Amino acid sequence: MNAEHGITINQVSRSFTGRGTLVQALSDVSLDCPEGSFTALIGPSGCGKSTLLRLALGLDAPDSGQVLISGMTPQAAAKSGKTGVAFQDAALMPWRTVEDNILLPLDVLGRKRSAYHDEVAKLVKLVGLDGFEKALPGELSGGMRQRAAIARALVTRPEILFLDEPFGALDQILRRQMNVELQRIWMESNATTLLVTHGIDEAIFLADRVVVMQSKPGRISRIIDVPFDRPRTPDLFAHPTFHALEKEIAEALDGH
Amino acid sequence: MATKTPAAKTESVLSLRQKLARYSTVRNWLLLLVFWEIIGQLRLVADGALPAPSAILARMWVDWADYPPHIWATLEGAGAGFLIGNAVAIAAGVLFATFPLTQRLARGVNVALFALPPIAVSPILVITFSDMTPRIILAAIGCYFVTMSATVTGIQQTDRRIVDVVHAYGGRQWKTLIYAQMRSAIPAILSGLRVAAPNAVLGSILAEFGGGGRFGLGVYLIGSLGRGEPDRLWGIGLSATVIAGLAYLLFSLIATRLTGTSKAVTVPASPPAPKAEKSMVLTLALGTVSFALPFLLWWLMLAIMGTPAMIAKTPVGLFDYLFMMPSSLVSLGKLATALGQTLPMTMVGMAVGLSFAFALALCSVLYTAIIRGFMPVALVTQTMPLVALTPLLVLILGRGPSLILWITVSVTFFPAFVTMAQGLSMVSRAAIEVPKAYGAGPFRQLWLVSIPASLPYLFAATRLAVPRALLGVMIAEWLATGKGLGNLLNQSRGYLDYGMIWSVSVVSVLISVLFYQIVVAIEQRVLSKRGMAPAQ
Ligand SMILES: Nc1ncnc2c1ncn2[C@@H]1O[C@H](COP(=O)(O)OP(=O)(O)O)[C@@H](O)[C@H]1O
Ligand SMILES: [Mg+2]
Repeated sequence: MNAEHGITINQVSRSFTGRGTLVQALSDVSLDCPEGSFTALIGPSGCGKSTLLRLALGLDAPDSGQVLISGMTPQAAAKSGKTGVAFQDAALMPWRTVEDNILLPLDVLGRKRSAYHDEVAKLVKLVGLDGFEKALPGELSGGMRQRAAIARALVTRPEILFLDEPFGALDQILRRQMNVELQRIWMESNATTLLVTHGIDEAIFLADRVVVMQSKPGRISRIIDVPFDRPRTPDLFAHPTFHALEKEIAEALDGH
Repeated sequence: MATKTPAAKTESVLSLRQKLARYSTVRNWLLLLVFWEIIGQLRLVADGALPAPSAILARMWVDWADYPPHIWATLEGAGAGFLIGNAVAIAAGVLFATFPLTQRLARGVNVALFALPPIAVSPILVITFSDMTPRIILAAIGCYFVTMSATVTGIQQTDRRIVDVVHAYGGRQWKTLIYAQMRSAIPAILSGLRVAAPNAVLGSILAEFGGGGRFGLGVYLIGSLGRGEPDRLWGIGLSATVIAGLAYLLFSLIATRLTGTSKAVTVPASPPAPKAEKSMVLTLALGTVSFALPFLLWWLMLAIMGTPAMIAKTPVGLFDYLFMMPSSLVSLGKLATALGQTLPMTMVGMAVGLSFAFALALCSVLYTAIIRGFMPVALVTQTMPLVALTPLLVLILGRGPSLILWITVSVTFFPAFVTMAQGLSMVSRAAIEVPKAYGAGPFRQLWLVSIPASLPYLFAATRLAVPRALLGVMIAEWLATGKGLGNLLNQSRGYLDYGMIWSVSVVSVLISVLFYQIVVAIEQRVLSKRGMAPAQ
């Protein structure tokens, strides 16, 4: 399948040699994310989740196999501004204000800032940073920085969104809040989304499909569909089917 | 903003501490000044060779009309050299950081520019160029290495995560440089400029020692040397120091202004980019080219300048002079004698200076009060064109070998101490407290933690000390003792023996580079065995 704005990962392998030892970060991984889908990627630390994302972003190249974003190579997709990304670490430029950080992708892509003024104001409001447009990252809390990074990921109105543990550094309460917000943002934008996460509940709450990975070598072990309708509300966390899914994923993570 | 309150609080606590530290620094300086005044008034040092501060100021008041043209001339040379040298350095740094291969090719040129004793090339610059050019070149050379390495380090230390974000939007080399690397390298470049500023003043003054021009603090200093007026010499020396110190201060202020906003918000977690694969053939080829490049540039420069072969010796011309002429044997003999006098002094002075610095730096770990009292003094000497003050030491110490030793020791001691003390202060408290928790005494702690941890800084200090020691010895020989390479250089100037001038210059640069390379080779072996990286 070669969806218009989807992600196609085809038999991708990637290994690293570090001080003599060979680490098979990804071994023969295939995954299809159709246009408009929300996929969560979950697995133990070191199973190659970030590596997979970096391949999809064109930050790294696979040893073998092929990654297509909207039918293009990852680098071409990145250059055309189709993709947005937020890393686990906010990775804001400490010398740029919140607003300028959010505008960074436009600078890199060589687009006019002025065309995006309303968009930025809307995004700042959306992630709850109004009043902090001129603040420097050093003056913000960890949660606020992360929200700025998410606004930055959305500023180009991406068709494909990559999120690498974007809420990993947040506390549980803020995380739940951000999950609800992210769902709302996603439903508005309808971007094909690939979310890497450590939280089983987060994965189920947000995704259409949860992809479970195993390490040594990094590979996909199971794909579990999530049947809930949208918009999903926080009561879902207490739903019996939700608990059943949680249990199923936890078992898959343990290697059952 | 609610988040701002705790930050503001820690700031005020810090500034209180800084105030206290500043207070004790001011007190130390006042004590020193009073002590100096008493010694001067009583003529305790070498029968008045160290005049009282009040006497120096009084003399400066009398001489005041003489100063402006000299100060302007030095500032002009240093300023132009600073601009040109740093512009070249930043451009080169960007090139080297972006294309690592170019850095390996330019290594020979870089090391030569770092290690060359400015006084040794001053005469050949004066005979090859005219007017202000020699001063500008030496000032520029003084800036080049510092700023170039700062730029490379600054760019290489750019937070990988920020670079990833730019890459993720399809930005490549050029955009990464503009949006991430250049801006995050600014603090490093500024601290480079801070060190480069006094270097430019020193470079200009040393070129003035070599002749050419009627004005400049160096010219004034040399001209006043024979008249035996300590108070005037000190006045000139202190003016040079103040100029260099102000330049240092200016860039310190700019740096603290700017770095406040660009400190990374969190600690980067990803490893630095891996090194390129090594191939024997490539390494050998790169090494050869990098070795040949300085000679090629030397030859090219003279070819472009079109200086007569009689005055300007190309590598081939120099070879003829030293090995093919009837007088070659005599020349080689002179050179060998001078080397025999200069080298032992350089080694001994450097060894003593480094040992003192190492010992004191280790003491400062055990007794932190030492550092608080002494560090400000040591830091100020960093900004002093110390070697330019040699004439003052001549007054105090006379013209014997002890002079050379003193100059060499002091010229190597201070920068080595600052490097090592700062390095040791970065050793984590926790690492020291582990052996402490098991009942290790202060000396066992030193032995187990501080000394091994300080090795990279010891080597960094040694690398820094090598060219400085040779420079110190040569200046002392030139100005005072009448022996060794420095003297041979000065004499050959008088005899218009151009071949010998070039020989001494080239030999001293080669020796300095050789020493430097030996230190680097030992450093690489020792540190890589311990899995440590060289310190800047
Ligand atoms: N640049 C690299 N160099 C060497 N090893 C790497 C590199 N990037 C990732 N790895 C290794 O690949 C494996 C997968 O890493 P990663 O994709 O970051 O895992 P995670 O699932 O925790 O995000 C780990 O064992 C890691 O050490
Ligand atoms: Mg990861």
